Amino acid sequence: HPWETVTTAAMQKYPNPMNPSVVGVDVLDRHVDPSGKLHSHRLLSTEWGIPSIVKSLIGTCRTRTYVQEHSVVDPVKKTMELKSSNISFTNLVSVDERLVYKPHPHEPHKTVLTQEAIISVKGVSLSSYLEGLMANTISSNANKGREALEWVINKLNAEIEEFAASARGTMRNSMAAAAFVEK
Amino acid sequence: MNSVGEACTELKREYDQCFNRWFAETFLRGERGADPCGQLFRRYQLCVQKAIKEKDIPIEGLEFMGPSKGKAESSS
Repeated sequence: HPWETVTTAAMQKYPNPMNPSVVGVDVLDRHVDPSGKLHSHRLLSTEWGIPSIVKSLIGTCRTRTYVQEHSVVDPVKKTMELKSSNISFTNLVSVDERLVYKPHPHEPHKTVLTQEAIISVKGVSLSSYLEGLMANTISSNANKGREALEWVINKLNAEIEEFAASARGTMRNSMAAAAFVEK
Repeated sequence: MNSVGEACTELKREYDQCFNRWFAETFLRGERGADPCGQLFRRYQLCVQKAIKEKDIPIEGLEFMGPSKGKAESSS
């Protein structure tokens, strides 16, 4: 898909069926900088499907995790960069992700995404098994991210189709009414 | 999609609709114009800031700036 389509979808990524744990998205700040780039700071609230009985014991604030996301969109250079890191109440493990969307250098109707994740742990030595597990999850999530955007793009296209169809219907009705009145 | 503050969801939806339209139809086309969503954003922001304080969400290094930093203020 062209870069404009992907970028528009990325701004409206949630909700989507591939990320059911994201329950809230808020814009904390948004502004266009002097060079014309759009900066957005967003807060994503996630809920990990913990059984409600556990939630009622420990309270929702402990089962929610939050992700802080900073994105920069340059409409001239056609780049979108997203940096996100989780905020947690314990701050033991942090996952920082960086995504960059750019038009494909050789195929202008396609977009290239590069994605990296940095996992850091404070003061605890993670076994290599756990590190491997997290790395696997992150790379399968990367695929999920692409599927999620496909889903959003299809949804946006369907909405446009629906709007166009109802506009055509309205025009036909008013033309028929005008012809009737003339007679 | 809901807001972190339940009371803010409706304000968020109104702002999102305005922003999504401006983003796709104006910003991505390289057109620079006054931001039509400023007022909606301010109302929504106030609500969200309050909700974040109430829920004690630890957001570090984030100053709550207005939407028109770096641009001329649009008259309302």
